[in-house]
Amino acid sequence: MDIYLHWRQPSQMVGSKRMRMPSNFRWLLATFVLLHLLNQVNSQKKGTPRDLKCTTNNLQVWDCSWKAPLGTGHGTMYKVCIEDRPRSCHQLEKTNIKIPALSPGDHEITINSLHDSESFISIFKLNEKNVSLIPDTPEILNLSADFSTSTLHLKWNDKGSVFPHHSNVIWEIKILRKDSMELVELVTYNTTLNGRDIVHHWSWTSDMPLECATHHVRIRCYIDSPHFSGLKEWSDWSPVKNISWTPDSQTKVFPQDNIILVGSDITFCCISQEKVLLAQIGSKNCPLIHLDGENVAIKIHNISVSENSGTNVIFTTEDYIYGTVIFSGYPPDVPQKLNCETHDLEEIVCSWNPGRPTALVGPRSTNYTLFESFSGKSVRFKNGEVPTNESYRVCFKMIPSQEIYNFTLSGHNPLGQSESTILINITERVSPHTPTLFKVKDINSNAVTLSWHLSGNFARINLLCQIKINKANSAQELRSVTIKGVENSNYRVAMDKLNAYTMYTFRIRCSSETYWKWSKWSNEKQHLTTEAIPSKGPDTWREWSSDGKNLIIYWKPLPVNEANGKILSYNVSCSSDEETQSLSEILDPQHKAEIRLDKNDYIISVVAKNSVGSSPPSKIASMEIPNDDLRVEQVVGMGKRILLTWHPDPNMTCDYVIKWCNSSQSEPCLMDWKKVPSNSTEVIIESDQFRPGVRYNFFLYGCRNQGYQLLRSVIGYIKELAPIVAPNFTVEDTTSDSILVKWEDIPVEELRGFLRGYLFYFEKGEKDTSKMRGLESGHSDIKVKNITDISQKTLRIADLQGKTSYHLILQAYTDGGLGPEKSMFVVTNENSVGLIIAILIPVAVAVVIGVVTSVLCYRKREWIKETFYPDIPNPENCKALQFQKSVCEGSSALKTLEMNPCTPNNVEVLETRSILPKIEDTEIISPVVERPIDSSDVEPENHVVVSYCPPIIEEEIANPAVDEAAGTSQVIYIDVQSMYQPQTKPEEDQEIDPIVVAGYKPQMRLPINSTVEETAAEDNMDKTAGYRPQANVNTWKLVSPDSPRSTDSNSEIVSFGSPCSINSRQFLIPPKDEDSPKSGGGGWSFSNFFQNKPND
Amino acid sequence: MAPSCLFPGVMPLLLVLHWKHGAVSPLPVTSVNATCATRHPCHSTVMSQIRSQLAQLNGSANALFILYYTAQGEPFPNNLDKLCAPNVTDFPPFHANGTEKTKLVEMYRIIAYLGAFLGNITQDQKLLNPSALSLHSKLGTTADIMRGLLSNVHCRLCNKYHVAHVDVAYGPDTSGKDVFQKKKLGCQLLGKYKQVIGVLTQAF
Repeated sequence: MDIYLHWRQPSQMVGSKRMRMPSNFRWLLATFVLLHLLNQVNSQKKGTPRDLKCTTNNLQVWDCSWKAPLGTGHGTMYKVCIEDRPRSCHQLEKTNIKIPALSPGDHEITINSLHDSESFISIFKLNEKNVSLIPDTPEILNLSADFSTSTLHLKWNDKGSVFPHHSNVIWEIKILRKDSMELVELVTYNTTLNGRDIVHHWSWTSDMPLECATHHVRIRCYIDSPHFSGLKEWSDWSPVKNISWTPDSQTKVFPQDNIILVGSDITFCCISQEKVLLAQIGSKNCPLIHLDGENVAIKIHNISVSENSGTNVIFTTEDYIYGTVIFSGYPPDVPQKLNCETHDLEEIVCSWNPGRPTALVGPRSTNYTLFESFSGKSVRFKNGEVPTNESYRVCFKMIPSQEIYNFTLSGHNPLGQSESTILINITERVSPHTPTLFKVKDINSNAVTLSWHLSGNFARINLLCQIKINKANSAQELRSVTIKGVENSNYRVAMDKLNAYTMYTFRIRCSSETYWKWSKWSNEKQHLTTEAIPSKGPDTWREWSSDGKNLIIYWKPLPVNEANGKILSYNVSCSSDEETQSLSEILDPQHKAEIRLDKNDYIISVVAKNSVGSSPPSKIASMEIPNDDLRVEQVVGMGKRILLTWHPDPNMTCDYVIKWCNSSQSEPCLMDWKKVPSNSTEVIIESDQFRPGVRYNFFLYGCRNQGYQLLRSVIGYIKELAPIVAPNFTVEDTTSDSILVKWEDIPVEELRGFLRGYLFYFEKGEKDTSKMRGLESGHSDIKVKNITDISQKTLRIADLQGKTSYHLILQAYTDGGLGPEKSMFVVTNENSVGLIIAILIPVAVAVVIGVVTSVLCYRKREWIKETFYPDIPNPENCKALQFQKSVCEGSSALKTLEMNPCTPNNVEVLETRSILPKIEDTEIISPVVERPIDSSDVEPENHVVVSYCPPIIEEEIANPAVDEAAGTSQVIYIDVQSMYQPQTKPEEDQEIDPIVVAGYKPQMRLPINSTVEETAAEDNMDKTAGYRPQANVNTWKLVSPDSPRSTDSNSEIVSFGSPCSINSRQFLIPPKDEDSPKSGGGGWSFSNFFQNKPND
Repeated sequence: MAPSCLFPGVMPLLLVLHWKHGAVSPLPVTSVNATCATRHPCHSTVMSQIRSQLAQLNGSANALFILYYTAQGEPFPNNLDKLCAPNVTDFPPFHANGTEKTKLVEMYRIIAYLGAFLGNITQDQKLLNPSALSLHSKLGTTADIMRGLLSNVHCRLCNKYHVAHVDVAYGPDTSGKDVFQKKKLGCQLLGKYKQVIGVLTQAF
């Protein structure tokens, strides 16, 4: 501590006088003086007490100490004097002194040390600000541990009695763990000193079980006194106290069976003598934290909810597994839907839903307590009372004369607690038990007494009970009664306005008049009320028999509510002005009687009787008022009902009666009837007997002066259906272009609706081949006729084709749909005139064309001849024949061609290998004429020698336009042996040897006009000259049937046929000139006209 | 393993075991030479019934074992060798090559031991696993069969061999143990039960 220090200085001081000196001298002098002064000070310090420090631990006494002068030891006396204090000097030998706390402000303290007759005086200026407040070191009175909760309990005394003022104290507690004293936590704890010694308790819960390691605790304090302005310092740490668990021989895992909140962090440890190899929570491995020795721990963060049996934590050593179980769950949820009510005003039943499951079961489950604040009573809920529907219930005995209850339901488990409250007036929360012993007792035929028992003390309230009354074929009726409640007693109430002789079913339930909840319905009780006189006479109608002599009286059985009992019999009587005739009693269930009556007017009376008495009579007049203006109308119902309407008739004073019957039923026709008041204008008739597709007759009668008059007659269906049969139709007449069809009516029973028309379909089709096609498919071949005139019974179908099969279909239809079809196949008659005309016209046309052609040809024959067949020049004038000279040397005169009769000629045909007809010159070699062309040009083996016998003449024609020097063109006329097309099949043609096919060399005119061309032509004469075909030569037959050798020659010996050869004599029309050698030419064919013109 | 002893909590259970069917009176605790008497004579097929009951127990022992360790949660099913090893100390011995009398006496001790411990297990599991109804049912059924078996064995011993008294030992009490120890002991004992019941079935 540095405090204001004074020391007594010798009085000699440097004079204050200033002398003038040189500046250097003055500087040296000042330095000397300063050094001297420092030396003086140091010598004084060494010889005087120094470093006075003062502390306090209680603010009342200051403990001041100083350092003794150097060189002093034992025997030094100090005289300490405090200024401004009486008897403030203290003589002492030690270097400290305790002095009462000084008042605020500076105080001068003089310490005079006396040693060996030397005296040194130190003067200190002491202020509270320079004093340090250092509390005494606290002492831990007790340190204990609760191992089950891992909690350390610390106890110490604050020693506050020594402090004069209230002061705030800050305690700092240090928690250390393990032998190595690792700091776990440093906690501050604030208290107040209030002048008394107080023992403080402080607890600390470890995150690690205390068994896992030794825990050490130290403590220190800091007093923050507001009245002390000096320096405040922490006390020293207290001595260490520690807690450790003494393990027994067994290895243990901690904590055991702990219960923690889901999501918490927890540390498990294993106190073991063996090395722990593995730790697991559930099936999950955890890293080991090594503690002292072989002890280990694991830390689990955010633990998840446990199963019922808890979460297993195990530590595995070499040989064993040690473990513990942790139960992780939730504190109890706030009880939900807390509801309290009473069934009997003796016990209050409170129920609630526990809300979120806590995941804690068995001894760890939630315990509930129901506390009533006004009475201070409470009941506990036992776990065994948990029902299966997750709703908890507890019963609270009611307090007599207490109606208002304030319940608090609190639930608590090891992890926390929760509560819910409810304030009720119990008289408004009555839900009575189910009424028992429910009975019914007759009062009369229209009233009964109901009685029942209701357990509970309801004397304080009124009960509201509801009676459910059911009777057959009637709506349920609910009646409510309010009765005064009594205590555990029977209740009785009368039920009136019941029907006689009716089976009723009664049930009852009750509530409080203020209504909270109904009780459950009691058991059903059936009861039959007693009989009474029938309230009305039976509904009566009459019909005359078919012969008109008997009157049949019909009546309906009385409904139950009017019969008032079992009807045993009926009495029927008829009365006229003169007499009354009563028939014998007619027993039920007969509901008609027949009386033989004349045509007089009678009144018929019918009375129903049961065991109690007779009903009022029902009366009806026997006569019927005629109606001449009666029309039959049609009506169709809706659903199972038929609506009939009529105009109001003021003459009708009694009522209207509608009777109906099946139209196919014989007379008298009556199914049922219905009476309606006279002011009605419509009625809906509904009957279970109505069937769709059945025609019914309805008759509307009006009552006037007790007599009935038939007003309307209606036929109708409640629903129209399609006919079930097809109209039976026949074909009355068939022509080549029409069919007359006739059909019959469909019986009413099979029509099943009002006939609206017929659909007639017809199409071409054979019976065997034509399948019935869908008529609705709109096939274009099907023609449809819709016959809406239902009186039409015939139909003529016109514009048909003769001798054609037609498929006819006829369907009838109603508004209910189309009926089945009836089909028929009809073949129209043959049209013979047309056929004849069809044959004759082409024949006639052909004949006419032929005649015309013939005439034209005849008349134009000259022209034709000139055009197509010009005159052939005289071969004698042809120089071409002079070649004979060269052949026959020595002959100088021209000679005509010498005709040798039937000398066979050989025709050598040059073969062509081309399949296609190739135009080549054909050379015919006569045996008497040598070939002018070198035969080396033709392969000998390719020559086909054809025996040829010119039938008439063989001519050699010279080309007049060709110069002699230019060579000759040899033209050989051959016979065209066939004028008609060969009959050989094409297949056969293809099989013919190509050599044979090539045998015929068609003729053609060679282009020989040019000299140059002549030479070329001469060179290629055998290839290009000759006949040119007018048609495909492949189709020609090589052997003409009229060829002399056509029949006896084989395929290699063929004759050449030509459809038209310009060089053939047979094609030539004989010239007019009779001198022409060709006038007697062979046959002419008409088809030759169609041949091409030669040499074109 | 704690030494075998008679626990107060087990005695009432044993009395119930013997009184349950009324077929036999409680085992006399008087001297060995006391006269043995049963309320009704043994049925001639008592040995057949014993065999049948043993077969019944043997047939359900493994299922009960599986049901038990499954209900204890992980890691029991995966650490059966260490957690459910049938190393139960002080378990009554059985010698399959002995006489019928000695075998019956030894079996009596075993069934009494198992029956008492099964009662403890049942009680523990009802608190620990209140919703494991199938386990409770199986434990109850096994205990019922054991009661009948014990009664029949007693009848046979008494009527044929005039044995009125058999000293029995009971397993460790689990009431003071932590939950993990209860689970583990139960599992070990049921493993032992599964093992020994097979031996007994073979021996008879």
